[in-house]
Amino acid sequence: MKSMKFEEVFSSKPRMKILKIISRLGTLNVSDIARRIKLNYSTTNQHLKVLESEKILQQRVYGRIRMYRFKDASPRAIAVQNLLDVWEQTSVQ
Amino acid sequence: MLYANSVFKDESKLDINYVPKALPHREKEYRLLMEFFNFLFQFSEKMSQRVIITGDVGTGKTALSNRFGADITLQANKKKIKLKYIHVNCREYRGKISLILQHILTIFQANFPKRGYSSEEVLDMLFQILDEEATHIILALDEFDTLIKNEGSETVYKLTRLQEMRSNKPQRISLLFILRDLALINDLDESSKSTLQRNIVNLKKYDINQLVDILNERVDMSFNLYAVNDDVINSIAEFGYSESGNARFAIDLLWRAGKYADANNKRVVGMECLREAVSSIFPSIRKSEIDSLTLHEKLFLLAIARFFNYNDVACASISEIEESYEIVCEEYSEKPNSHTQIWKYVQLLSALGIIKIKVRSASKRGRSTFISLPTIPSNELEKELNASLRKKVSEKHEI
Repeated sequence: MKSMKFEEVFSSKPRMKILKIISRLGTLNVSDIARRIKLNYSTTNQHLKVLESEKILQQRVYGRIRMYRFKDASPRAIAVQNLLDVWEQTSVQ
Repeated sequence: MLYANSVFKDESKLDINYVPKALPHREKEYRLLMEFFNFLFQFSEKMSQRVIITGDVGTGKTALSNRFGADITLQANKKKIKLKYIHVNCREYRGKISLILQHILTIFQANFPKRGYSSEEVLDMLFQILDEEATHIILALDEFDTLIKNEGSETVYKLTRLQEMRSNKPQRISLLFILRDLALINDLDESSKSTLQRNIVNLKKYDINQLVDILNERVDMSFNLYAVNDDVINSIAEFGYSESGNARFAIDLLWRAGKYADANNKRVVGMECLREAVSSIFPSIRKSEIDSLTLHEKLFLLAIARFFNYNDVACASISEIEESYEIVCEEYSEKPNSHTQIWKYVQLLSALGIIKIKVRSASKRGRSTFISLPTIPSNELEKELNASLRKKVSEKHEI
């Protein structure tokens, strides 16, 4: 998959929702993510592939299950998690 | 302060899930368990182990396993060995291996989907996670009896051969089977039986002195200083012993007696608190039983109730009760019966399970019989008997 521009990656509402949910709950499988963000499986899957190709998320396959989480030791993943943490904390105040 | 007017300083130390730092009278078994799993410190990926812990209810199987699990994990982690102890009660998962494996998986991946996977698939996923994390787990399957009964030989066989199904791969799962009745293993097929019966830690039932030690230790941890009488501890130990050496039952009884002391605003847990605790567990005396007694049997029982109501002791000699009986007879204007007759009352009340008798060598003159009122609160019994006797006396006067 061709690399996307920063604004393209973050301009998608579903992708932001995915990142928020994974930041809050940790590792999740595709169907679970789709259900939580109220999108169908294949659209969710496409968004997940984008986030994976941009080195923000990583996929683990366990038999028939595909689980997604933030990519280990990826500066992008760390930056996104930090941004979401700060956003969450300051929103509470 | 929460415990300002309580006999307790920390009642959580009497909770069923509390595991003390050391288990009295289980030191040998603990060392044996550590020996069985010693390989983990050197070859955690090259070996795995299967051990059975067996023993009656309340002999410390779960406590021993949990203590061992916590200690070995700590030791391993200090040596940078990735080890996790997982304790599962098979009964909570209806003895179903698929539910148990699913639960274990969620320990590593909290959001793992819960439905639609066979046990084999879940097991493969678990091994994959353990390989990724380079972790060895000791899986303690408590109440393993439930799993054997539900799943039968086939599953048990697979469990015992987990590692052999993954040849040339690191060993990841050791098993600790905890079960009450070792005879259940005999119903399994020969191969499962032979693999399982290699390492057995057998916990014998606690004797009275061991139960006293256990109770004393828990009293020190959970009650204020001098808040529990020695008589109470000894009596609880006797109860625990009569319930197949059940330490769990004894500890629960101790907690209940403490609760009754608090409810009655007492500073010390005495025999009466224990009787109330016991009567809350065992069925107490029925009114019909009292009504069926003759006048003098009632008077004698009242004498017993009074004695224990005013003396916070666990047992009394027959002569002590006889003295109390004479006073009761005086009160009800009755002539006390002879010693031979009294002995018959003792036998009858004991047969009815209202009192307990014990023969001990008490003095130089020989053996004496001691009476105790273990399960019925003496004040309740006294009230009940007074009411029944008043009725009987008034009937007598009417005639």
